[in-house]
Amino acid sequence: MSEQLTLYLHKASPYSEKIELALAEANAPHKACQIDLLNKPEWFADKVNSVGKVPVVTYGGPNVDPDDPSPLSVKIAESNVILEFLADVYPESGLLPKDPVLRAKVRFFVNAVTKHIEEPCTAFVQGREPYDNALNGIEFIQRLLEEGRDFAVGDHYTIADACISPLLARLKIVTETDLGKFPVGMGYKLGEELKGHKYAKFMKYVQRILERPSLKQTHDKEFVIAFFKIIYTERVQ
Amino acid sequence: MSEQLTLYLYKNSPYCEKIELALAEANVPYKAYQIDIWNKPEWFATNVNPVSGKVPVVTYGGPNVDPDDPSPLSAKVAESNVILEFLADVYPDSGLLPKDPVLRAKVRFFVNAATKHLEEPCYAFVQWREPYDNALKGIEFIQGLLEEDGDFAVGDHYTIADASISPLLARLKIVIETDIGKFPVGMGYKLGEELKGPKYAKFMKYVQRILERPSLKKTHDEESAIAFFKTIFTERAQ
Repeated sequence: MSEQLTLYLHKASPYSEKIELALAEANAPHKACQIDLLNKPEWFADKVNSVGKVPVVTYGGPNVDPDDPSPLSVKIAESNVILEFLADVYPESGLLPKDPVLRAKVRFFVNAVTKHIEEPCTAFVQGREPYDNALNGIEFIQRLLEEGRDFAVGDHYTIADACISPLLARLKIVTETDLGKFPVGMGYKLGEELKGHKYAKFMKYVQRILERPSLKQTHDKEFVIAFFKIIYTERVQ
Repeated sequence: MSEQLTLYLYKNSPYCEKIELALAEANVPYKAYQIDIWNKPEWFATNVNPVSGKVPVVTYGGPNVDPDDPSPLSAKVAESNVILEFLADVYPDSGLLPKDPVLRAKVRFFVNAATKHLEEPCYAFVQWREPYDNALKGIEFIQGLLEEDGDFAVGDHYTIADASISPLLARLKIVIETDIGKFPVGMGYKLGEELKGPKYAKFMKYVQRILERPSLKKTHDEESAIAFFKTIFTERAQ
């Protein structure tokens, strides 16, 4: 691939992390530029993403420094849209299978992750609801997983694995450190529940996915913990 | 394409309508089978969609059986936006998705935006969980993605972007013309008046063009949709 690709990201953002993981697993050469979300450079909204969010990818155009983006490059936002884009520009990466039915399984998984994991887990950590919906979501995802398989779908790392991994890494942090807006102890309690037989298949998948070198290289656990400590200062009673 | 394709649908569901539109625009032969979602046949959840029991679902491949006798050999694909992508994959020359990765990303961004910025606030308004302000903001966001005077959401061909937003636009039209919904009486008309302003002209031009397409006229049963709305929106907020 001779086109330049630059990823604008934030190290605490699970959405940015999805893209970092996909790029790492696809072995795709790229430039990375960290954006301080609490202190965004002006050129970011002007020249890269008018909505001001990360992740964003620029593709093509001249090979410039990330902090001097060219109007000639294409700008692509929205993490799940970027994942599909990477699968399109790196068709041999395996990020999406070639078979339409397997591709549909991958996309169903991605859709399920957003609906059944992302939303309820975020709502729990932000203290808006108890973890019941998160547990239901975990059961839903678990039913989609095959026993003893390394990956969410098929026998290769796909955008399905990329999209769920950052959430699983943060779920691990929450259950190990109890950091969040929920009442004190609820994070530990969720962790205890997840140790039960009921969630064994899911937890085996979690363990395997968190052991992958791409995740170990990409996921900055200390940074995310420090970030959680800053944003989750108040606790719901 | 020699593989059989069967769509299980509920006629008043906008999610099912997305698929009907895409199939019509792609000129794909298929079998359609109506499921009464208030009285689902047992075989539907067991043999067609064991994961969620919902429509739309597509079965693909396997022997050419009657829809009410689905084969375990067919692939089952659920979730409307997943089905749209699946159709673009199995009918690659239909134009449902462009071939160029950057244009494909534009189409997907539009589909994502239609769900996040339009679908959610519009349904929230009609169900009176919130006023129409977010719906209007969403309309502006979508409008920002449209090209001036383009017939289609992205590029110069009908794509899954158009299919994904059309059923919603057809129902928006019903709401502003009939005022049917849970919101206080008159709010639907009021939204309609706002949308007549120059601020939303580009959006409304796109709406008009998309609602004039033969595929939509054949697929969308406005009378049935209105009757359905009347049965579900009986209470009005004050």
